Amino acid sequence: MSEDRETRLFMISPDSTVTPDQLAREIHAMGRGVAVKETCYGCLAEGSRAAVAEVLAEVRGRHPLDVFSKRRAYPAGDPRRCRAQHGTRPGYAQLEAEWAALAMISRGLEACGRGESPRPPAEPAGGLPVEKFKEIAEAIR
Amino acid sequence: MKVFIDPPNSLILFDLVERFGHEPLGAMASIQERIDNIELDMPPMNVTLDDVVGGLRYAGVEVPSGIRGRLALWGPMIDAAEAAVIMTDAPFSFGCVGCERSSEMVKYLIQRRGIPCLRVGYPETEEEAEDAVLRIKGFLEGLG
Repeated sequence: MSEDRETRLFMISPDSTVTPDQLAREIHAMGRGVAVKETCYGCLAEGSRAAVAEVLAEVRGRHPLDVFSKRRAYPAGDPRRCRAQHGTRPGYAQLEAEWAALAMISRGLEACGRGESPRPPAEPAGGLPVEKFKEIAEAIR
Repeated sequence: MKVFIDPPNSLILFDLVERFGHEPLGAMASIQERIDNIELDMPPMNVTLDDVVGGLRYAGVEVPSGIRGRLALWGPMIDAAEAAVIMTDAPFSFGCVGCERSSEMVKYLIQRRGIPCLRVGYPETEEEAEDAVLRIKGFLEGLG
């Protein structure tokens, strides 16, 4: 059964001008036969694996820096998770934390597009030399 | 290539691994398998007896059951992974409901397998985010 259904979570970056309503309508208009549920952060798309993969490719093509996506385990509107039906939402704190970081990740993807290279990692701060520590210990004794 | 992500339910890592052409191994697939086929309400908080026994492959019997339950789900994915991306120094809410002991066990299991592994710090600024994404891209492209 897991092979048949795929639910995708699409989250819009906080610095984007795309709205959840616009994204949900776009996915509807693609006509791939997937069910779409608009949410506060973007939308959920649910359907066969192949159809959802096509939707994902098209959304990435249209909004490469604005919309991020991951697979979701629970079906859209599942009463065990849906807050409209008082479901628990244990992963929501993480989604919120990641949502806040998405604008920065978009800047990273832009840097990838410009062909930049990562800066060399900063040298870790060295510890106090043993001799110096020994002097201090001797002075306090 | 199959790339394990840690935290295993991370949206950012799942998206980036998929975007750069690899198959992310995250928590969602194994949770969905249990929801659809066994009809558990809330894995890994609810697990089957088989999961608990399976978790013993990855953590001893003296380890708290919550960690064993999580490892019953993450462990087989770490076994199947050909590479891993780990995000370190993440805030408390970034991760599987903040179980630090499980995260440590996961990092240990990845290290023990000896697969290529990239550790990136959780970005606090735009410069750090650029570096993190560039390093993830370089690592994933280098996997072939």
